[in-house]
Amino acid sequence: MKLRFWGVRGSFAMCGTDFLRYGGNTPSIELVSKAGARLLVDLGTGATEYGKQLMSGEFGHGTGALPVLLSHTHLDHIQGLPFFTPFFIKGNRIRILGADPVGSTLEQTLQNQLAPHYSPLNGLENLAAGVTIEAFVPGGALQVDGFEVTTAAVPHGNMWTTGFRIAADGKVVTILSDVEYPEPDWPTPEALTLATGADLLVHDAMHDDDAYALARGWGHSPVAAGVHLAEAAGAGRLALFHHSPDATDDQIDALVARARAGSKVTLFAAAEGEYLDV
Amino acid sequence: MEITFWGVRGSYPVPGRETVRYGGQTSCVEVRAASGTSLVIDAGTGLRALGQKLARDARGVAGVHHILLSHVHWDHIQGLPFFEPAYVPGTRIHVYALLTAADELQQVIGGITRHEFFPMPLSAVPAEFEFHEVEPGAVMTFGEIKVLPIALNHPFGAVGYRLDADGTSVAYVADTAPFTEVLHKQHFLSGLEPLTDDDRQALERMHAELVAAIRGVDTVIYDTHFLPEEYARFPHYGHSTPEHALDLVAGNGVRRLILYHHAPSHTDDQMDEIAARYRAIGAARGVDVVTACEGMVLTVGVRGAAA
Repeated sequence: MKLRFWGVRGSFAMCGTDFLRYGGNTPSIELVSKAGARLLVDLGTGATEYGKQLMSGEFGHGTGALPVLLSHTHLDHIQGLPFFTPFFIKGNRIRILGADPVGSTLEQTLQNQLAPHYSPLNGLENLAAGVTIEAFVPGGALQVDGFEVTTAAVPHGNMWTTGFRIAADGKVVTILSDVEYPEPDWPTPEALTLATGADLLVHDAMHDDDAYALARGWGHSPVAAGVHLAEAAGAGRLALFHHSPDATDDQIDALVARARAGSKVTLFAAAEGEYLDV
Repeated sequence: MEITFWGVRGSYPVPGRETVRYGGQTSCVEVRAASGTSLVIDAGTGLRALGQKLARDARGVAGVHHILLSHVHWDHIQGLPFFEPAYVPGTRIHVYALLTAADELQQVIGGITRHEFFPMPLSAVPAEFEFHEVEPGAVMTFGEIKVLPIALNHPFGAVGYRLDADGTSVAYVADTAPFTEVLHKQHFLSGLEPLTDDDRQALERMHAELVAAIRGVDTVIYDTHFLPEEYARFPHYGHSTPEHALDLVAGNGVRRLILYHHAPSHTDDQMDEIAARYRAIGAARGVDVVTACEGMVLTVGVRGAAA
């Protein structure tokens, strides 16, 4: 299985020279199995670039198929949706799978995003591709061609998001993008189950451990939370993810150096660009 | 007056190596009169950095901010939940926008922070928000700045603004399509639709009113999202080319045209070519054409004072 980060930035897309090495796009992660099956997790601004790449293949001819998993519907995880070019080509089949937000549905939420005030697309029905919106209740498995996907709800401030355990080719990637445990040293049992034995754990690392005290309760983790989970779960590697919009490349370098000094876990900061072998 | 460009990009923010010089953040311009009265036009992603600057300057003291919106498409409002002064108690934020549907502005603009989209609703932030309806042709006054809203041709409606202060003037004309091929209304367009006689008359009226509103303005900031060959493919998207903008300002007493709302696909190198090409074309038509880049500060009404 290969993985590519198309967007690693939390909350807000960041432009400029301070954000070139790790990247400024908001979350979007592509997974590709050996057999060529594809899967996308989240539709942040990074997805717009991924969409352009897809257009050079079967998606440009209206014969592409792609499942998209959403961790939740906060804007930084869906803001690339209106600009994901494969949606505009008739014949493409795109499944969007996510949990219903509290008090609403996944479909209604995405409709609201494309409401005519906010977007000239004027609703999901105007996307030319065949798009299905599939709500699921976290805690079970999802049927996705070429991958085995297990889900669980994890806490995120006053709500929760969906964490994913994605397996293919005998390898496992766990993605816990927006999460804050009641105690950072104590991942919830659901998170631990998702991450157990993962070859790669992608984890929210929005806050520097020192800065976390000021941001407690806002729904994001200090670096230490991912490190503790990777240690407890016996994960092979840890990718620090969902970088703070204020963290420059140099600050992320420093954050990684500190985390490496404090743990035996193999870890790195997620960066836009290259395909990684899992 | 002084104008600062905090976001110059259209549609969505574009991080990366190819946008570092012109900037990747979406529409947001700050206008400041000599006395210090300031207005913000559009609340795209550029608003975040402006808010950080305002918060630094204010050092925690609550202020009053006026944000004029051209319309409420995401690229023009997405910065609002990240505007730092909104989190300072006692701050008042006045938001001005066109009312294009039966919904209340508060619902529409507040709707961008419904819990499905954002953890903190605008109604719960420490600052007080007040929403004001803008009517094309009805002048608003902010201290010594007079603001004239101008109807534009964009899906679901948009307004431009002419600002007069300090004996000079600037106009902000975004987002808009030209006034010939398509009349944008409140429905989805998958391509061009035939125009009725009423549509043609509505377009002519809108065009005439815009021409009159920007006559003699020192500096016009214009939606020039597309190059002509791009426009030819997407005439129904609601955006213009530099040619469309030049046709309106040349011979209309406008000194300077600012190319603005750049397509997200235009790299810095392409923008250099666009800037050079239209600088020459503009000069031949008697207009000083400047291509907006993020962070650019322009003095309005003073020749040769462009930063």
